[in-house]
Amino acid sequence: MESIKMRKITAIWIITILTLFIVAIVLAILMRMNQGGMIVQSPVTFYVNMTTHGLTMIGIWFVAGMAAINYLMDRYVKTSYIVNVIALVLTVIGILLLWTSTFVGKFHAAWTFLYPLPFKVMWAQWATPLFLISLTVLTIGWLIWSLSLMAMILKKYTISQSFAWQHFKKNPKVETPPFILISMITLIGVIACLFAAVLLVVLLFAEYFSNGAFVNDALLMKNLTYFFGHTIANEMLYLGLAVIYELFSEVSERPKWKTTWYVALGWNFTLVFVLTAFFHHLYMDFVQPEGLQIVGLLASYLASLPAAGVTVFSVFIAVYRNKIKWSLANLLFFIGIAGWVIGGLGAVIDATISNNIVLHNTLWVPAHFHTYNALGNVLFSLGFFYWFSTKFTEKINSKMFTKVTLAILLIGGIGFLLVFYIAGADSIPRRYSTYPAELSIGTSLAWWGAIFATVYLTAILIFFLNISKRCLKILFSPS
Amino acid sequence: MEQQSILLLFLVLMGIAIIVFTYVYLSSKKAEPPKLGMSNPLKKRFWFMLILSVILVIFISVTIPKSPYYLFTNETPAKVVHVSAMQFMFIMSEKAIDPKKPSREAIEIPVNKLVEFRVTSLDVNHGFGVYNPEDRLITQTQAMPGYVNRLRYKFSEPGTYNIFCLEYCGMAHQVMRSSFIVK
Repeated sequence: MESIKMRKITAIWIITILTLFIVAIVLAILMRMNQGGMIVQSPVTFYVNMTTHGLTMIGIWFVAGMAAINYLMDRYVKTSYIVNVIALVLTVIGILLLWTSTFVGKFHAAWTFLYPLPFKVMWAQWATPLFLISLTVLTIGWLIWSLSLMAMILKKYTISQSFAWQHFKKNPKVETPPFILISMITLIGVIACLFAAVLLVVLLFAEYFSNGAFVNDALLMKNLTYFFGHTIANEMLYLGLAVIYELFSEVSERPKWKTTWYVALGWNFTLVFVLTAFFHHLYMDFVQPEGLQIVGLLASYLASLPAAGVTVFSVFIAVYRNKIKWSLANLLFFIGIAGWVIGGLGAVIDATISNNIVLHNTLWVPAHFHTYNALGNVLFSLGFFYWFSTKFTEKINSKMFTKVTLAILLIGGIGFLLVFYIAGADSIPRRYSTYPAELSIGTSLAWWGAIFATVYLTAILIFFLNISKRCLKILFSPS
Repeated sequence: MEQQSILLLFLVLMGIAIIVFTYVYLSSKKAEPPKLGMSNPLKKRFWFMLILSVILVIFISVTIPKSPYYLFTNETPAKVVHVSAMQFMFIMSEKAIDPKKPSREAIEIPVNKLVEFRVTSLDVNHGFGVYNPEDRLITQTQAMPGYVNRLRYKFSEPGTYNIFCLEYCGMAHQVMRSSFIVK
């Protein structure tokens, strides 16, 4: 079972993540208020907030998934406490450096920092190298963490067992728990995309220090950027799914889920699809080889089969006509799966090339990825946070509290997401600080977006107070 | 598909998803022990997967031929427009654009004739988004430094078309725009 040290560091992770989450939501509301004409900020301030919001959100929900699987993995294999601490320290340092480069240095090349934008300096000279250093610090911390967790799995399971290949035969002698299988598949994806991030940063530094002697290729850099960006955004969802495979049955007081050949096959395929789906970010670059565009389309479609098909139907079967002990934790998991599916539908629609030509870089894009994050992955993690925090303290939440909090969360979440979808279908571009007169519908929609996002923030504040209070107790309790 | 039908499709699919999830949730509320459900839910996915695969294959085979890469490939464009994007403007010309001395001209495009935009960038990545007179995005391509994207289109409706930048390019991204006339 887990040690007290592991319990305490997980509590620190949770408090840190929720605090940063609230800051990042406030930045988002300020952006929507500016677009809606409720406040007036300079475009630089808007884009600084946008850059900070994007990278902070990606960072915290990635580490939220990692902290959760690290905590649960201790049930199966021994994990390194020191590495967990190093990851926490480097994450906090990385975020502080990032915020210095954006808030103080005014760096605002967006979280995708698409080459060569970081070199067209419209901010303090030092902000570009500091931004790249912050990425380096985060990447190193996360690489060490992922490699360490993978090494710990491989100490107990052979490579083929960690991929659950023995489940392709009848009656396997060793069972690979679904949690270990999904963690392994996800960690490989994470490590691959973090290596892409290292390569990206090295190439950017090489050009930065070469004084013009070395120039990168924009198409290659764009491919690398999205291999990193798209993959990490997807893998953090899969980290959340690993948690659900482990905890959904447990919280619901039902028999534990076991790996079958379907599950093994599905997740093995997921690894291939998740690493090639990123090509859909380059559909509108017609110079990209057509073969890769089709690979992007097929992978985007097929990625939904194993991960979504297996997981969603497993959850359905687990719940359908079964007397389940519903609590806030498994309700968050269940609603999160629904949010993930709906966001996935929006994603598959956008990943269709003939639709993408009228949706690419409109607000449809943030619409779909906010659906499977704000009402998907965030709920997976909140479910874990809540389960963890109530495990060691007395339960005080009434059914009424659960209902009211979830209602506020859903009203705010569905509201601000629908506004995004409608704006996307109305051809409103994403990443505009304000809208031109012709697209003024975007302004009124942004106004509603700000209102609903504030309602969503209210629910998150309730979660924050509730969960952090318990986590602080865990942190300061002697045992 | 037009954006409004895409939105409708999405809303219908979302509605179905919400109904299914609610139905499954309510069925668990009503369930009585002894349990009717399966003890290991990670079994018997075959039918679900088959149906899902068939729907996806139909979608893929219908939509791939409509991809922009395969449209008008066998026709010769009646007009070629060169587009060089730079922070924070579009330079458009019927002649090739010299990056050292870029000069622009007003563009007129014949209605119902094939036009080819040769789009590149002189600095960072930009997006070349074409909006019709009703302010709806009808087609687009990216403007990438070092590369030329060829976008072909037939405009069926006369009027003034706006171009908006659709790739974030810095602090004045939101005011980067241009226009042309279709007659």
